[in-house]
Amino acid sequence: MSGVSDHPVLDPALAPPFPVAALPVLRNVQLRKNVAHAIDVIQAKRARVVEEKADWQALRAAASRIKEEALENLGAYLEQFEERCTAAGGHVHWAADAGEARRIILEILREENADEVIKIKTMTSAEIQLNPFLEAAGVRTYETDLAEIILQLGKGEPSHIVVPALHVNRSQVREIFARTMGLEGLSDEPKALTAAARNYLRKKFLDVPTAISGANFLVAETGGAVVVESEGNGRMCLTLPRTLITLAGIEKVVPRFADLEVMLQLLARSATGERMNPYTSLWTGVTKDEGRGGDGPQNFHVVLLDNGRSSILGRKRERQTLRCIRCAACMNTCPVYRQTGGHAYGSVYPGPIGAILTPQLEHLKHAQSLPYASSLCGACYEVCPVKINIPEILIDLRARVTDQERETAHRFFDPMYVGMRVANMIFSRAWLFHFAQWAGRIGARLVTRKDGWIHSLPSVGAKWTQTRDLRGLPKQTFHAWWKSRERVSKGAREQGSEKAR
Amino acid sequence: MSAVTDSRKKVLERIRAATGGSASRNAGATVGKSAEAHAEIPCDYVRRGGLTVSARQERFIERLKEYDAEVVECAPDGLAAAIAAQIEASGKRRFVAPPGIPAEWYVDAAWKIEGFECTFDHGLSIAEIEQAEGVITGCFCGVADSGTIVLHHGPAEGRRVISLLPDWHLCVVRLSQVVETLPEYFDRCAIREQGSKGAREQEAEKLPKLVTWISGPSATADIEMTRIKGVHGPRFLHVIVVKD
Repeated sequence: MSGVSDHPVLDPALAPPFPVAALPVLRNVQLRKNVAHAIDVIQAKRARVVEEKADWQALRAAASRIKEEALENLGAYLEQFEERCTAAGGHVHWAADAGEARRIILEILREENADEVIKIKTMTSAEIQLNPFLEAAGVRTYETDLAEIILQLGKGEPSHIVVPALHVNRSQVREIFARTMGLEGLSDEPKALTAAARNYLRKKFLDVPTAISGANFLVAETGGAVVVESEGNGRMCLTLPRTLITLAGIEKVVPRFADLEVMLQLLARSATGERMNPYTSLWTGVTKDEGRGGDGPQNFHVVLLDNGRSSILGRKRERQTLRCIRCAACMNTCPVYRQTGGHAYGSVYPGPIGAILTPQLEHLKHAQSLPYASSLCGACYEVCPVKINIPEILIDLRARVTDQERETAHRFFDPMYVGMRVANMIFSRAWLFHFAQWAGRIGARLVTRKDGWIHSLPSVGAKWTQTRDLRGLPKQTFHAWWKSRERVSKGAREQGSEKAR
Repeated sequence: MSAVTDSRKKVLERIRAATGGSASRNAGATVGKSAEAHAEIPCDYVRRGGLTVSARQERFIERLKEYDAEVVECAPDGLAAAIAAQIEASGKRRFVAPPGIPAEWYVDAAWKIEGFECTFDHGLSIAEIEQAEGVITGCFCGVADSGTIVLHHGPAEGRRVISLLPDWHLCVVRLSQVVETLPEYFDRCAIREQGSKGAREQEAEKLPKLVTWISGPSATADIEMTRIKGVHGPRFLHVIVVKD
C-alpha cells in the first residue's frame, strides 16, 4: 500500500486542499487501475438493472418528494419516531455534535461494562471518528463488513461510501489478511479471502454482546429502523448481541413504512447494481418474545446525530443535500472521482455528494476546495435516485466560498484577486479596454508558438496552461474587424449611389 | 442526563428554526398535517404488476436463480417429498425449524432420512442454533420483480437468528404468497384505510415490527467487485415454490 507520507487524511480540518491531496493518487497507477476497474463493473451492472425499470423516473420523482416532505417536517417526524421507538422499548438519544454522540455511546458501553464491540459499516460513525475515540477509551472495535475489515486490519482509509476498499486489489487484501490473521498459505482468490474473513469474525459474532450500527432509514410511523446490507454481518450484529446502539443522522427519517416501497427499489439498483441487496433488516425497539427467549437485542439505543445537518436544512437549495440515501451512484459516475479516487476529498464522504456535504457539515470553515472538485458536467444529478441537483449546489457553495474569501484581509494581495480588480477596471473603461487589447496582442506574440497556440504562460498564468493550451490572439480584434467592415460597406454604398446618378 | 435533554431541545429548536416552525409546535398536529402533504406525493410508478400468474412465477424463479439460489417447484401434495429430497441431497442432517411450521411439512415418511434430526425452536440458545447445519422456514411473501423473499418472523418463519446462523436455508414459498412488485408486498402488510387519524394510528399498529428481506444467499463484492456467494449469512439458499 501507499507509504506513510501518502497516507490519506480524511479529517476535513486537517486534510490538504483537493488539488494537493489528489496528486499522490494521480501518480499511483495501481490505485487508479483498481478504482477504474471497480467503477466500470458497478456502472455496467447499474445500467442493466436501471434500464429494465420502465418507471425509474417516476420512482426518482416520488423518492425526492418523500425525502423533501420528510425534511420540511423533520422536527415532527423525529419526535414521532422517538415516541414510537420508545413505546417499543428503545431508548432515543439526541446528539448536537460529534463529541456528544461519542460521549453518549461511550456512556452506554460503560454501563454495559463492554470492552469490545462489533460494528456494521456506518459512515456516520466514521464521520464522528468513533473508532479511534473508543479505542483510546479502552474499547476494542471490530468492523465486520469485509471492506471495513480490510481497511481496519490494513490501517487504510475508506475511499468510497458503499465499497470502502474499492481502491485495494486482491493481492493487497491477501497480503493484509496473511499478515494480520497469521495465514501464510492464503491464496488471493476472492473466495478464499472471503472465507478467511468469515472464520476470523465468526467467534466474535457469537461472543461479543454489544454492537454498533448505522441506519439507512428510520420510520417515523412505526419507530422502526432499517439496515441494508449484503454479507449478513449486519444481521449478525442486529440479532445476536444483547445490546445494540444505532447511530443515525437526523435526516435518515422517512414518514411512512410504505415509503420503503420506493426507497428499496432505488437504493440497491443505484448502489451495487442489484435488483435487491441480499439482506435488508427492519426492527422496532426490542422484541420480547414470550417463551422463545426474545428476538434480537433486549437493550436498544438510537443516537440521533445533528453535527451540522440542521444548518444545511435552513437553506432551501442546499437542503436537497439531506435527501441523500448514500447509494454512491454520483461518485461511480463522476469523471473526477474516477481519476482521483476517494482519498483526495479529505473526508469520509468523497465524490460529488462529499463535495457538497463535507463543506456544509464543516460550516465552510474547512474543505473549501471541494466545491471546485467538479467539472459541473451534471452526470451526478442525472443518476441521483433522490434527484439532488448537485451541480446547482456546487455553484452555490463556490459563490459562498468566494464571498467568504473576499472578506479575508490577506486575500487583498492574492494575485487572483488583484487580477480580478484590474480586469474590473479595464472592462469598465472603453479606452483602457482597447489599449489592453493592443498591448495584449503585442505581449501574446512573445508566447504564441508557430502553430497559433499558447502552450505555457509565465507566472500565475502557468496555473491555467499547466493542464490546457490556449489559442493565440487573432491578428485583428472584433472591434477592428467591424469598423473595417463598416468602412467597406460605406464605400460600396457611396460607389453604388454614384453609379445610379 | 440534563445535558442530554438540553441537546434534544437544542437540536429540535435548530430544526424548527430552519424549517420555519416554532419549537413549541404540537408534534401530533404537524404530523397529522404533513400526512396530508404526504398523501399528495406523486405515485406514478408501477404499483401493480400486469403479469399472468405463470409469468409471475417464472420471473420469481428466474430472478432467484440469478442470485445463485436453488429453486424447485412442486404441487401442494408433493411438498413433504420435495422437502425431503432437498434435505437428502444437501448432505446436511442437523436442522432447526421454527415451532410454527405446518405439520404436513414433516409428517411424511420421507423425513425419516438416516441421521436426520430437527429441533424446533422453543427458545434455543445461540450456541444450540450454531450447531445446526440447516434451517427450514416458511415466509410471509415473495416478490417476483426482485426475486425477494420476505420474512415477518411469525410462527412459521421463526426468530431472526434461526434463519441466520445455519449455513443452509430452505424456504418454502407458496405461489399465492408471491406478488409481482414491491409495492404489492407493502399493500399486503396493511389494508390502507383512508380516513381519520385514528384509523391511521391503528394501521401503524398492524405494520410489521420485524422484517427481513432476503434476496439470494449472503454475498459480497468488496474485493474487486467480484461477487462471492456466502459470507456470514447462510451460504446456500434453497427455495421450494409450491404451486397452490
